[in-house]
Amino acid sequence: MVAVETRNLTKLYGKTKALKELDFTINEGEIMVLLGPNGSGKTTLLLILATVLKPTSGIAKVMDFDVVKQPTQVRQILGIAFQEARGFWRHKPTEILRFHATVCGVPKDKREALIEQVMKDLELWDSRGKLFMHLSGGQAKRLEVAKLLVQRPRLAIFDEPSSQVDLRGKRIIWDHIRKLRDEGSTVLVATNEVREAEYLADRITILDQGLSVVCDTVKHLKDSIAGGDVVELEVEASSQDDIVKELSKLEGTFRVTALDESHIRAYVSMAEAWVPKMTTLCYQRNSRVLSVRVTEPSLDDVFLHFTGRVLGVATS
Amino acid sequence: MSNIIRLVWFDLKQELTPPVWILLEWGTFGLQLSIYGALISRLVTAMPNYLQFYSVGFVIMMTFEIGSHTGRHFVEHAHEGRLPYLLSLPIPRWKLFLAIALQGGAELALLLVVPLSVTLIIIGNLTVLSVASAIATLFFLGFGVSGIMLALSFIAFRSADIYTAIVTALSTLIIRFSTVFYPLMFLPSSYAAAAVFSPLTYGADLVRLILGFNPSMLVDPRIALAVLTALAVSTLGIGVVLLQRLVEGVKSG
Repeated sequence: MVAVETRNLTKLYGKTKALKELDFTINEGEIMVLLGPNGSGKTTLLLILATVLKPTSGIAKVMDFDVVKQPTQVRQILGIAFQEARGFWRHKPTEILRFHATVCGVPKDKREALIEQVMKDLELWDSRGKLFMHLSGGQAKRLEVAKLLVQRPRLAIFDEPSSQVDLRGKRIIWDHIRKLRDEGSTVLVATNEVREAEYLADRITILDQGLSVVCDTVKHLKDSIAGGDVVELEVEASSQDDIVKELSKLEGTFRVTALDESHIRAYVSMAEAWVPKMTTLCYQRNSRVLSVRVTEPSLDDVFLHFTGRVLGVATS
Repeated sequence: MSNIIRLVWFDLKQELTPPVWILLEWGTFGLQLSIYGALISRLVTAMPNYLQFYSVGFVIMMTFEIGSHTGRHFVEHAHEGRLPYLLSLPIPRWKLFLAIALQGGAELALLLVVPLSVTLIIIGNLTVLSVASAIATLFFLGFGVSGIMLALSFIAFRSADIYTAIVTALSTLIIRFSTVFYPLMFLPSSYAAAAVFSPLTYGADLVRLILGFNPSMLVDPRIALAVLTALAVSTLGIGVVLLQRLVEGVKSG
């Protein structure tokens, strides 16, 4: 079943088009990652789905509820963790979570235990007595994520969930987002961090300048780059010349270069299919392969391939 | 407990723990009345018992400041990212806006309970009806002032600094050029001409009339009531419409 669907979704801020006739879907029970630089329209899309912003034109539906015509029903089944956790400066984390859980309908008998568990999981329990304004950036961000872990909505939306969080904290947040998916929620994550996208995504939509450039699984996106996988071989020096020519003829080979008398670098598509063919060939040629190292393209490479721009440069 | 009360209490609780702002406002009122009010009431001889007049004026000024604060607070929330959070909660919009309005009303009531009680004691000889009517008028005025601030909020979405400058200047003019501290008939003609455009003139004089002040010193109550009604309805209406449009076009963070 489709959890989220947009058709020709457009949002204008004055003359600026933040979203340009966006067609986009999320399947129920998957983690969809929106990957794109700042200003690509990620946050605008999330806010439209959360009914905070109204689209200029087009249709957006969450679990078949129209975000413009049935906003209250939409808000009853989704939760959003915003990019920046702000606003409740003089409240304590437990008060903020209690308020959120109560308004979002978490049963009273489960509420306190759930809040305590989530705060412990996200290492916020020791800060439960602090005021929000005294939390560090990372703690505030974890608190924002904690809201959704307590709420457990059918559609959980995270806007850059681990920005400002240290490496250990990032891993904790990511694992809990995956757990949320495993427990039945559909998850939408917006990010410009490729590591986050790679770790979380069942599917990725690359968004650039308000347009959906491509949408697929991480593996398919990487495989779609011709010659994107890099295979480095170490072979016996005596057999190298013939092997380079033969490897060039293998299906999926993009380019083969001899680095020195025993090292070869091959740019291939779908290394997992190419490597067995290569080993068979070497075996038939009686060439001894001493080592094989496979490097996949990164999502940076994928972004570059589909948009013609480097993600880091586009983000800055 | 309904979500409306929950929302109101969630915000109000932080004003009360500890209630520094409220105590400061009460303290300011006490000092102002007991020192400045007592001194000036001896200097003003054209009016019997000027302290009573001054005391009501000060309550009106506090009402204006609290109403203004509520309106500005709402705009700040939109900028801070708190408003998008509230808008994302599973609460119908009308309940959310009602909760915000009620919170403003509750803050007004909390801040005014002591100053108004002191004022009523100073005036003395009052009826339940007159006190209830005076409180209702103060709330009406408070809503109107909040509405002015909301209606001006479109400036804040372009520049918070310009908004602050305009609101501060406007507040000063509205308070100074009004009958908050002196009756219209005693004001210099140029000053009086400006005072008839201040909503506080009508709020202050209507409250005074209800509390038994000499009607000959005050503006026509029918005009005052009409002006206050028009102010509350129009500014709140414009404010909500403008705000809905603006909020829908404002990105968070």
